Amino acid sequence: MATVQVSEAEKVYIMHGVRDDLRVDGRGCEDYRHMEIETDVVSNTDGSAKVTLGHTAILVGIKAEIGKPRPMVADEGFLEFFVDCSANATPEFEGRGGDELGTELSNTLYKVFNNRNSIDLRTLCISPGEHCWVLYIDVLLLQCDGNLFDAISVAVKAALFNTRIPKVHISEDEEGGKEIELSDDPYDCMRLNVENVPCIVTLCKVGHRHVVDATLLEKACSEGGRGSLDPESIFEMTETGKRVGKALHAPLMEVLQKEESLGKKRQKVGFLG
Amino acid sequence: MLKSKTFVKKTRSGGVMKIVREHYLRDDIWCGSEFCVECKQESPVLQKDACIESNLCSSTHYLIPDTNLVLHQLDILEDPLIRNVIILQTVLQEVRHRSAPVYKRMKDIIHDAEKHFYVFTNEHHRETFIEREQAESANDRNDRAIRVAAKWYSEHLKRAPQAEELQIVLLTNDRGNKEKADESGLVVYKCEEYIKSLTANPELVDRLALTSDDQNEITSSKILFPEHLPLSRIQAGIKSSTLLQGIFRASRDNYLEATVFVHGEGDESTEVLIQGLQNLNRAVYQDVVAVELLPRNQWVAPSSVVLQDEGPKDEDKEEESENMLKCEVSEAMLKPTGKVVGIIKRNWRPFCGMLFKSQIKEATRHLFTPADRRIPRIRIETRQAAALEGQRIMVAIDGWPKHSRYPNGHFVRNLGSAGDKETETEVLLLEHDVPHQAFSQAVLSFLPKMPWAITEEDMKKREDLRHLCVCSVDPPGCTDIDDTLHCQDLDNGNLEVGVHIADVSHFIRPGNALDQEAASRGTTVYLCERRIDMVPELLSSNLCSLRSNVERFAFSCIWEINHNAEILSTRFTKSVINSKASLTYAEAQMRIDDAHMNDDITKSLRGLNKLAKILKKRRIEGGALTLSSPEVRFHIDSETHDPIDLQTKELKETNSMVEEFMLLANISVAQKIYDEFSECALLRKHPAPPPSNYDILNKAAKSKDIVIHTDSAKALADSLDEAKVDGFTYFNTLLRILATRCMMQAVYFCSGMDSDFHHYGLASPIYTHFTSPIRRYSDIIVHRLLAVAIGADTTYPDLMDKHKQSTLCNNLNYRHKMAQYAQRASVAFHTQLFFKSRGNLNEDGFILFVRKNAIIVLIPKFGLEGTVFFESKDKANPRLTFDEEGPTLTVENHAFHMFDKVKVTISLDASKIQHQKIRMALIEPVIPGVSVAPPEDGPEAKKAKLDR
Repeated sequence: MATVQVSEAEKVYIMHGVRDDLRVDGRGCEDYRHMEIETDVVSNTDGSAKVTLGHTAILVGIKAEIGKPRPMVADEGFLEFFVDCSANATPEFEGRGGDELGTELSNTLYKVFNNRNSIDLRTLCISPGEHCWVLYIDVLLLQCDGNLFDAISVAVKAALFNTRIPKVHISEDEEGGKEIELSDDPYDCMRLNVENVPCIVTLCKVGHRHVVDATLLEKACSEGGRGSLDPESIFEMTETGKRVGKALHAPLMEVLQKEESLGKKRQKVGFLG
Repeated sequence: MLKSKTFVKKTRSGGVMKIVREHYLRDDIWCGSEFCVECKQESPVLQKDACIESNLCSSTHYLIPDTNLVLHQLDILEDPLIRNVIILQTVLQEVRHRSAPVYKRMKDIIHDAEKHFYVFTNEHHRETFIEREQAESANDRNDRAIRVAAKWYSEHLKRAPQAEELQIVLLTNDRGNKEKADESGLVVYKCEEYIKSLTANPELVDRLALTSDDQNEITSSKILFPEHLPLSRIQAGIKSSTLLQGIFRASRDNYLEATVFVHGEGDESTEVLIQGLQNLNRAVYQDVVAVELLPRNQWVAPSSVVLQDEGPKDEDKEEESENMLKCEVSEAMLKPTGKVVGIIKRNWRPFCGMLFKSQIKEATRHLFTPADRRIPRIRIETRQAAALEGQRIMVAIDGWPKHSRYPNGHFVRNLGSAGDKETETEVLLLEHDVPHQAFSQAVLSFLPKMPWAITEEDMKKREDLRHLCVCSVDPPGCTDIDDTLHCQDLDNGNLEVGVHIADVSHFIRPGNALDQEAASRGTTVYLCERRIDMVPELLSSNLCSLRSNVERFAFSCIWEINHNAEILSTRFTKSVINSKASLTYAEAQMRIDDAHMNDDITKSLRGLNKLAKILKKRRIEGGALTLSSPEVRFHIDSETHDPIDLQTKELKETNSMVEEFMLLANISVAQKIYDEFSECALLRKHPAPPPSNYDILNKAAKSKDIVIHTDSAKALADSLDEAKVDGFTYFNTLLRILATRCMMQAVYFCSGMDSDFHHYGLASPIYTHFTSPIRRYSDIIVHRLLAVAIGADTTYPDLMDKHKQSTLCNNLNYRHKMAQYAQRASVAFHTQLFFKSRGNLNEDGFILFVRKNAIIVLIPKFGLEGTVFFESKDKANPRLTFDEEGPTLTVENHAFHMFDKVKVTISLDASKIQHQKIRMALIEPVIPGVSVAPPEDGPEAKKAKLDR
């Protein structure tokens, strides 16, 4: 992760600001930076989204493929995550530099998203025990400017919202052989319900208070992830997280719906916009 | 502008894949019209004076056909009258998807500059590209694309000067599409409507394919045939083996009977018998069909009755003839019997034949009788019946609805009047599937540029053999000389013999259009007065032909041979030769025999001849067969090209001299390429016939108290040599003719796909064809293999692919078989012409076969075979007793044996123009009421029939 050097004076300035609910870039403690979302940006995926948060830029692509359900949960499909920390985002990722972070991120994402509370995995089942949809979710870090988890979670949610899985039905012949048949209408496809898909809210303890969507500078002020927290403040932070998460979710869904309603008239921005 | 086209596809492994293609839209796609000043096209295809006289659109108009029109009414579009047509890319793509043959024909039309067909790439034009909408089927989208393009055209050309009159006419048979087009203000007609409006050219109407709309009116609504099963049911049935899949083969002699050849695994191929119209269920010869076996108690035996469909008749009668098929037979004769339940693939092609004019005057619906008796009659609609009478015509089948007794079809083209030499040749070429069109420009473009000369470069790569005294020996009038020979003494006392074969593979490079065309033709076809070349004439008669006194490329096979004709060494090389003489067999023979001639060529010939005799003797000792077939040559009148005389082929010593060395070269090459490429050598084999094939030969010999041993080729050859009857010199030849009929067909095969290489007739363990690359494609492949083996040329992937080679072999075998049939048909036709000009002839002949109700007689003088029937429809039949064992046939009191000498009168039976044939009637021995009196020469005699 990109590290920034912060001087003592700067640190004091930032901590005092946070104490007074006024951060260096003018935000309050529970405010996010400016966020931009665009879906359907990669045409050869089944669903995709690009999210920028401050200077952090994330691209998520989802490919749906037919696979075999896991034996324990025969009537469910599943998700798979892969996070690619490209050297585009920061020079430190060059070579195998981003692998560790990538694994950490994808493990977290798997834990957060691949469960029944997040998405109804049963809708991904085609025929129990035999065929199900596997959603391969590829996350690409284009630029790192702090708060990766939140940005990625928003992008994944947007991409899931955008995902269209071709409708299939199983036809059975006389001897019971099963064959997957595909609808020839490209508009005939299945959408996922993303109402319950969570957004991750990362809180950062700066001094005695905590902030959401910390910039790299703010993060550098917060002990760099080491140290301990007292139970009191953990409780407080959880409460804040809940509040902020709700406030993030509603406008996000609204934006996605609005974009969708534009249909083909929407001017695509893409990567050069 | 970039768009992307997205679609989902099922992968072979069962997965689902989303595929995205980039799709670019452009502004620089021109409309192709001469009127247009906006488009910056260089040579517009669509003309200004695009006028056909039509009472629907009187002014200039361009046509836009939709996909179904192209698929079903291509014969109309092919007509030279139809010009200035816009073919949309949407249509072309759909056609390509649906039918490869139609697509190819469409491409040919488009390339024909005379036709003025313009392909408009509407899918890439910014203003005519449309995206599929929600809940729109692919077909609806394409129809919309066609309408949008038509609309664009009419608006675009409206802006052009002088084009006020111009109309864009959309042709479609789809009702929904037509309505929508009407709504958007397009000029749209149904195909029939438009074609019928072309008042100046009524004959076009005949070429309309009958679409399902019209079928109802043609026949009564009574359903004659059971419904065909849908393809999905058929597939399921075949999978569960309740149904069998096979190729439908109609019987030549009985229109109510057919067999379906079911290809099983290994030797398990079976034949299923189908009897009766209902069970035949509209299958046509060569279709791939699904059959269901009937329960065992309904099985029948193949009938021996000859039944021909006499045209329309009452159903009672039909039933009657179906009943005729059923006769009491023993259990053992029963064959698996079934019924056709569905058609998997139609194999319809345009058929040659003649019109069977309806008796009703002014009728427009007529039956068409195909020349091939295995094809049912076809109902066509034509207004030019009177003009087509007595003409050979071509008709295509459009469909066979279940309430129609005959399939519906449409007139394709007129080939000319029946009996005409050109027409009949055309018919026999078409019926035998011999590709005989002129070579296309694409093919000709791969020919070497003239003037052609051998370059320094070429000389470096090849051995210079120009100094050798090489000569060729061929039949008279041969222009495609592909083999030459030489023989010279070596210092060590041995002889050097070389066979030099035209190096065709130097000119025909793998994979190009010329190569593909040659591979598809497979062989040159020799008809009586015409040769259909496998390669363009520049190669066959000039650059490849090893003519005398010109330098030519050759592929040489050179042996060192001692005076006992034992091969000491063999080598192969690409070379340059300069033939010193092109001789005929007779000329070469004269040189050998003339003791005064002592030049190099003659000495070389004598050396070759001497060696050939030893080689032949050794080959025959090894068990090679010398068989015989009565071959005839026609003397053709140089003015009229009519045959004026025929003569049986005469074999000279020199014939067999050339043959010996060709065999030797073929065997040496076969060994070499097999050693080098054991998996993909192209070889030729001749399987030993099964013992039962020899039955007829054995019976025939027994009748003269001679025993023929058929255990091996050697035994057969020896017993044939010994089989002689005093005072009957022709007997041996007759036996050999019979033996030839017992043989199997020799075939090409790929060494990697087969284990049995033996060539039975030549008694050689391995054999191939190397010596005639100008006229056989197999030899070209063998040349390429050999060239790779000696490092003289590069290889290419298809050459080493045994499956591709195997497919190629199948095509070559098919083409060779068809070429042979075409050749025979051509000889038969010329024999007829000959007898037509001669009137009746009385000739001696021998009985070749004895049948239940006839004898088959061979006339050695003409090499002609004919049947003398003892039964006829319109008079009392003589008393016939047939003894299978003899076999003998006793007519009244005279017994006919095989090889009996008879005298017959030969005449041409022209009562059926479609199937003219030579008719023979018995003169001697005289049997009252059966034989005829020798007719006087003269026109009177032509009518002579059995019953007088």
